[in-house]
Amino acid sequence: MNPPALELHDLTVSYAKKPVLYGVDVQVPQGALVGIIGPNGAGKSTMIRAIMGLTPLSGGWVRIFGESFEKNRQRVGYVPQREQVDWDFPVNVMDVVLMGRYGRRGWLRRVTKEDKKIAEESLDKVGMLPFRNRQIANLSGGQQQRVFLARALAQQSDLYLMDEPFAGVDATTERAIMTLLQDLQSQGKTILVVHHDLTTAKEYFDHLLLLNMRLIAFGKTQDAFTVEQLQKTYGGRLTILSDVAAKAAKGEAMP
Amino acid sequence: MPDLLPPFDAHRVFVAPWTTDLPTYGWMTLMAFLVTTACGLVGNYLILRRMALVGDAISHSVLPGLAVAFLISGKLTLPAMLAGALGAGLITTFLIEFLHTRSRIKADAAIGITFCSLFALGVVLINVFASKVHLDAECVLYGELSHLALAEHSLGMPVPVLVMGGVALIVVVLIVLFYKELLITSFDALLAGSQGFAPGKMHLALMASLSIVIVAAFESVGAILVIAMLILPGATAQLLSTRLPICLVLSVLHAAVSAIGGLHLSLILGCSMAAAVVVAGTLLFGVAWAISWMRQRARTIVSDIHAVVS
Amino acid sequence: MRFPKTVVLPVIWLLLTNAAHAARIGDLTETSITEQALRFFTFSDPSLRLALLGCILLGLNCGLLGGFVVVRRMSLVGDTLSHAVLPGVALGFLWNHTKDPLAILIGATLVGCLSMLTVSAITRTTRLKEDAAMGLVLSSFYAIGICLIGMIQRLPSGNKSGIDKFLFGQAAAMNGHDITLMAVTSGLTLLFVTFGYRGLLTLSFHRAFGESLGLPMGFLHHAMMLLISFAVVTAMQAVGVVLVSAMLIIPPATACLLTDRLHRVLILSAIIGIATAVFGAFFSFLGSNLPTGPFMVLAGSLVFTMTFLFSPKQGWLTRLWRQQTQKCRIERENTLKAMYHLAERYGFREEGITLLELANTRREPLEQIRQRSDDLIRQKLATLTEDGSMLHFTPEGWRKASAIVRNHRLWELYLTNIMQYGADHVHDDAEKIEHVLGEDTVRQLERRLDFPQTDPHGKAIPGARDIHAAIAKPNLGKPTGY
Repeated sequence: MNPPALELHDLTVSYAKKPVLYGVDVQVPQGALVGIIGPNGAGKSTMIRAIMGLTPLSGGWVRIFGESFEKNRQRVGYVPQREQVDWDFPVNVMDVVLMGRYGRRGWLRRVTKEDKKIAEESLDKVGMLPFRNRQIANLSGGQQQRVFLARALAQQSDLYLMDEPFAGVDATTERAIMTLLQDLQSQGKTILVVHHDLTTAKEYFDHLLLLNMRLIAFGKTQDAFTVEQLQKTYGGRLTILSDVAAKAAKGEAMP
Repeated sequence: MPDLLPPFDAHRVFVAPWTTDLPTYGWMTLMAFLVTTACGLVGNYLILRRMALVGDAISHSVLPGLAVAFLISGKLTLPAMLAGALGAGLITTFLIEFLHTRSRIKADAAIGITFCSLFALGVVLINVFASKVHLDAECVLYGELSHLALAEHSLGMPVPVLVMGGVALIVVVLIVLFYKELLITSFDALLAGSQGFAPGKMHLALMASLSIVIVAAFESVGAILVIAMLILPGATAQLLSTRLPICLVLSVLHAAVSAIGGLHLSLILGCSMAAAVVVAGTLLFGVAWAISWMRQRARTIVSDIHAVVS
Repeated sequence: MRFPKTVVLPVIWLLLTNAAHAARIGDLTETSITEQALRFFTFSDPSLRLALLGCILLGLNCGLLGGFVVVRRMSLVGDTLSHAVLPGVALGFLWNHTKDPLAILIGATLVGCLSMLTVSAITRTTRLKEDAAMGLVLSSFYAIGICLIGMIQRLPSGNKSGIDKFLFGQAAAMNGHDITLMAVTSGLTLLFVTFGYRGLLTLSFHRAFGESLGLPMGFLHHAMMLLISFAVVTAMQAVGVVLVSAMLIIPPATACLLTDRLHRVLILSAIIGIATAVFGAFFSFLGSNLPTGPFMVLAGSLVFTMTFLFSPKQGWLTRLWRQQTQKCRIERENTLKAMYHLAERYGFREEGITLLELANTRREPLEQIRQRSDDLIRQKLATLTEDGSMLHFTPEGWRKASAIVRNHRLWELYLTNIMQYGADHVHDDAEKIEHVLGEDTVRQLERRLDFPQTDPHGKAIPGARDIHAAIAKPNLGKPTGY
């Protein structure tokens, strides 16, 4: 039997000693296109980072295709939020996409002709090949996002984690991204997308993960996308939980 | 004010340094070039990582490191200097981090507190143990390239030039070897982390090499001018090019031009050569700034025309 | 002043020309440390009095302005400014070839403004970020200053000027004119801060909001920058170009660790600034050949370090200590909880709990349990039988034990029922949380859970009444309420 693409068990994360994610249990089957939905500060990006070991866990564990992340690093592709990088950085589009190949090459090895070919193919898939020598500062928001997607494609992974790829892009890019995601899914890849537009969530994703400091629901879109679950996600403020979290942070301040 | 400037003599200023006085000025210019190259190459990454002021901090806090190294080892030996500088650099990095993660002090104030305190400590150590520490306060502030004339020679060149050459070479080799790793950790630390390129360790390694470059440059240019050497070449290059490899090459070019320009400027003005090199570099930056501004204007005008035409 | 000016001025003149390395305050003779200290405290030395007055003014001025600098996260602006004014100092000197404080103040302030304008021009028109722009301006202006000073020193008038003393600072080099100027700028700052306090508060907290109210944010900002350059330039004589920014950063940063209201930060930082400056002057006076500036900064960092480690609320060691006591309390509460569990297992008979059972439950060696029981007895939470084998709750201990068990079970129930955790996850979480729940939160929890009787594992939750009752069986079956 196939191991789940992503398995989280009791994933707990604290930022500055304040818990932001509580005991999340999820098993994402292979080939799923998952939308991660939740209000601001629900811990969506934190969860993505925690999966890749970029944020230390205060409890629980992560498995990627049945193994630890370190072992299966190369099978995970990552699209960070666009604002996280400095778009004035002196590199061009091709350089950025080639970064997707760095992990495969490892320390001290240079990128090869083959890597360049893969990068060009990825750029072509997102329709950005004509821009390959463009300085990244001279791209529109949607184009920047497509460059990031091309970089993830160049990683040739089996599991993609994307942090708000639809944020601030034009309608054309949004459609292009969606086609691309469906294309990837049809190749059997698993994709997790942080998304905050409820109106499109239902039509874009076949699985939904509702998150608000804890897992509210995970399942097929038609099961998870119910008024009751959404109310739980966005409605009731978790006063007691965040209250107590603040107290715990004070009590447990410092390691 | 004519008496402010030494009498101008074209032969003394432009010809003599390359002919009769070449043994003195040649080494000084080479030294200035090597210092600016090594600093400028590392500085490119500092600018890109928005850590220019951390460079400022480390350049100040290398002073107590040197003073302590002198006090312990008793004389100026290369290993002692390097160890002192490395220690000081890492302590600075650690203290800044510690202060702003363990209290409500913000990062900028943490930088200021750390380097001012360490620099003050260094000055006090030098003054209290003046007889044991052969660093003088003036050297810290202006640096003296002309001390090169008094330096011992080894392998046919003054020892400081040899050391600085070695450091510059190491910097070049490291950048060539780790180009990819430096690029990805500077541009996108999260992606780098997810691919296993340990951004934290790269940061520490960069800080360590920064401390070594600074200590090698310290005696020649002093604690404050070294900041200019760190930032000017990279800043100038980044105004002119949008590709990192070209920026790196341009900063070496900037180093060469400002070293030679600084030599002549110092002879014209009759002032410290280290400061003159920086002033020459600043002039180059001004030129680059003007060029980039004009380019920007031109681009706006062109796009305006396009808009009007279409 | 007891000594006529004719005596004071030559002393200063001597200092100006003779101090070879850096500043010293006071005299030129070598005396013992105690004598020096005595002279310091009796204020018998007129130049010392002048220098001290200068230090107090500079501490006040920098402390007040620094408060805004630090809360507005502009710490490195002070650093940039202090290095970048150097060419202005040189130009001010060139104005009439003497160290005329007014000319130097004007020259330095103009250059300081120019440097700030350059920084903002660079960040606006190029891709360079603010930090790079500041580093660039700082060091290139400084280099121009060094060039100019090098040229001045070759002048006949420049040789004796003492202009190089601006680099490390020399409190003793300050004369009456300097002090007057310092007093004027400090007075301006004081007036500005007192009358513009509300505007400055808005500016520091949220500039755009202030603008939307129609407050003159731009004016206040520029006036403040001007005053900061005044402060930097006047303080430079005593502290030196390189370290003057420390006086803008260290005292207010220390104050920020001690209090969190802006006006208190300002007052405290002015006090700390004055103390720092005076301490620095004192230390450098003790060892009679030491520079003033670095000593002031070191005195400041000492105060800062002490505050950082020991301040009652924020101190690092204080927090470590608090955490340690917290840890002890948690251990104590866990022991009490284990006793409660044992008592519960035996149906709350009026018998004690043996240490051996307790050791088994907590999976700890008997020796450690003895220590824990000693601790409980010290805290009057339990008593030990004569033979030393059995523990009994005291009323207070019983109350605490029930409260902690109640917290734990309520929290577990909250996690399972309301937060829908898996029943296997809740225990560890509750273990941590039970110790930090306050009475309010517990009542809130009970209300949310509709005053439950049993926890997810089916065990009775002690109610509020049980806790306040004497040692007794929890009142099962009937609702407890309040």
